[in-house]
Amino acid sequence: MLALLAALTMPGCRAVPVQAPANYLRVDIDTSPLSLDPRYGTDAVSSRINELIFDSLARIDARGAIVGELAESLERPSPTELVFHLRRGVRFSDGRPLTARDVKYTFDSMLDPAALSPKGGDMAALARVEAPDDFTIKFITTRPYAPALQWALHGVVPYATPPPGRNQPAPPGSGPFRLRRLVRDEWVILDRNPYHRAPPAAVGGIAFKVVPDPTVCALELIKGAAQFAQNNLPPDLVAYLRGRRGLRVVQAAGSTYQYMEFNFRDPILADLRVRQAIAMAIDRDALVASIMRGTARVATGMLAPENWAYEANVVRYPYDPQAARRLLDAAGYPMRAGGRRFALVYTTTQGEERRLLAQAFAAMLAEVGIELRIRTYEWPTFYSDIQRGNFDVTSMAWIGINDPHHYYMVFDSAMTPPKGLNRSGYSNPRMDRLLEQADATLDPVRRKAIYAEVQKLAAHDLPYLSLWWQDNVAVMSREVAGFRPFPNGSLRSFASISLAQGGLLRLPPEAPEAALR
Amino acid sequence: MMRFFLRRLAGLAPVALGVATLTFALIHLVPGDPVIAMLGENAAPVDIAAMRHQLGLDRPLPAQYVSYLGGLLRGDLGSSISFHEPVTALIAARFPATLELAAAGLTVAVLIAFPLGFIAGARPGSAADFGAMAFAILGISVPHLYLGPLLMIVFSLRLGWLPLTGRGGLAHLVLPALTMGTAMAGILARMLRQSLAGVRDADFMRAARAKGLGEFHALAAHGLRNALTPVVSLMGLQAGALLTGSIVTEIIFSWPGIGRLMIEAIAARDYPLAQGCVLVFALTYVVVNLLTDIAYSLIDPRVRLG
Repeated sequence: MLALLAALTMPGCRAVPVQAPANYLRVDIDTSPLSLDPRYGTDAVSSRINELIFDSLARIDARGAIVGELAESLERPSPTELVFHLRRGVRFSDGRPLTARDVKYTFDSMLDPAALSPKGGDMAALARVEAPDDFTIKFITTRPYAPALQWALHGVVPYATPPPGRNQPAPPGSGPFRLRRLVRDEWVILDRNPYHRAPPAAVGGIAFKVVPDPTVCALELIKGAAQFAQNNLPPDLVAYLRGRRGLRVVQAAGSTYQYMEFNFRDPILADLRVRQAIAMAIDRDALVASIMRGTARVATGMLAPENWAYEANVVRYPYDPQAARRLLDAAGYPMRAGGRRFALVYTTTQGEERRLLAQAFAAMLAEVGIELRIRTYEWPTFYSDIQRGNFDVTSMAWIGINDPHHYYMVFDSAMTPPKGLNRSGYSNPRMDRLLEQADATLDPVRRKAIYAEVQKLAAHDLPYLSLWWQDNVAVMSREVAGFRPFPNGSLRSFASISLAQGGLLRLPPEAPEAALR
Repeated sequence: MMRFFLRRLAGLAPVALGVATLTFALIHLVPGDPVIAMLGENAAPVDIAAMRHQLGLDRPLPAQYVSYLGGLLRGDLGSSISFHEPVTALIAARFPATLELAAAGLTVAVLIAFPLGFIAGARPGSAADFGAMAFAILGISVPHLYLGPLLMIVFSLRLGWLPLTGRGGLAHLVLPALTMGTAMAGILARMLRQSLAGVRDADFMRAARAKGLGEFHALAAHGLRNALTPVVSLMGLQAGALLTGSIVTEIIFSWPGIGRLMIEAIAARDYPLAQGCVLVFALTYVVVNLLTDIAYSLIDPRVRLG
């Protein structure tokens, strides 16, 4: 046994240990990215890292607005055309110039059914992409389609980049960093892109280390082995790390939306009064204060207040168990012996936070006579059940909602599975009309007015009970300077982040950029 | 011995077939769809159909099973749906890390268990026996999930002697090996104690003492060897369990082994990768037990294999 151990640990019999180079920011992530090709990576970690390696035509800025990145301007010559004029002098990290041919190739390869890109499904309304010259790119849509600008957020790869494979972990991008080394389940190390201008004091690169266990991630931050972690620590650990010497916690408004979903196929839940009663029986302020430890804001709808289409004037459901009991009585569910009116099954996953939340819901609903039977499953089984409509009540989160078109994806009756995300089976012809009208309205002011109606209707009909918008919580070493939180959790400010020995280095604030419309 | 070895090796084939069949059936029976996991719920039906076709998932299950077995015969475990890489390459990249961790855990277990078990077995009912067995029960009782972070806090955070996580030099191996090996050390120490206590009054021990050997020397030279057979048998079973039980330790210490890979594969319903990981674990278990049988004959010449 000792001989085997000695043989295995001898130099030459094993991989050389990976070390983060000096002046590289050390960041803990909880999983390895699935793909460092922006046409294929859809998981959160891949998205966060890919936006550091790849530029896109446009990006979301720190205020949540869409601003130009590779595109310096945008024209809409007709309702079905978007024309982007590209910046000149942009190069991929291997030195090749980035032109419209690369952009067209990126989109063509995502739309090619043979390439099996998971991004293609969102672009059904994109008829074709044209590149009339080296610095102009044209999207032609099948119909006037307002959400088309969202497609401009996809990262651009060089022309003729094949689908990802073993020998090509990441194609070169034109973003601030390039991939130096990928060791799956261990490290992703990014160097500076030599063709991308960096601020003088900025870090030399980013070393992402895969640390799946949140407690260990907290220990790494305390020890200084890691200098940064965002959104991968549960609220109780964040509370523990607040105020620790050498660390600081940056908490900023986020757009991740936590909701409770009702299955309209269930005759009990199809009654609006029952859904309203559940809404009034759940003390969301208490849940935010206790389970979330103050790292969230009670939500009124899917769009957070930072979103351009946010509507504040919607019906709200304050905690009122008395009113909830009256509603249930009126709905024909009187309190029976044993303090119980009816039972519902609550389906959730096995994470500790999810189970705690389920128990809190069960305790609150028991107060008004609703028995909540909790069923926990591993994620794929849970997800499969939800997709098939095999649930009464569940709670999930939407991450990275940028455009209000998301309402169409989840509330339009045409999007009932297997075709879409309307898992609750909610159907309201007025909602359908408004959502289809909003997608066809290119004028942002009119579009915003339509979405205001959508938000009011959704809050009234309650296919979802809005729980909270989760804050972005970053825990970092006090050496880290220049980090700016983004509502969608983007780490794009790593491009200008610095490591200051012995204290904070203040960087000048970023000037706001003009939004693309 | 050679005949025995060859016969056991030949016995691997039906075990592999059984494991491959069971894994194939189980992973296809549980809910979940790798295509939806990859393409998302709002993927176009044509894209979903194309991916199913490309992965061969649109064929009847028996046809998929036959082609999976055909691949196995050629040593081809297929290609990972999530990673777009051959399963054999993904497993080969991680297997040394898992084997290294299991070997280190076993080494720690033996280094702790043998002195403890010997001390306890030499004087059953003494204070040393009580102390050693109390330590062994503590080792068995503390779960990896708790012991790992505890060791990290003491040896890495407070004392600064060892790194917290990751795979690197020998220093990186110490804490995960201690975490893995402590429970097994407790089990082995208890077994050795029982076994030694059982041989203390045997005829050959009385003969050894009559030759003038002291109690310690008699036990070390004659008792231990006779007491080892059940301990080695248990070690074989535990070594297999160390391999498959490394998942929690791999997660705590960010150790890039097959356990983590298998969990990821099952979560993504990455059928080829999950099947490959389970198969490798099962075959390793069988091989470890074969080596254990061979070890019997080396320890006790009265045992004849064949």
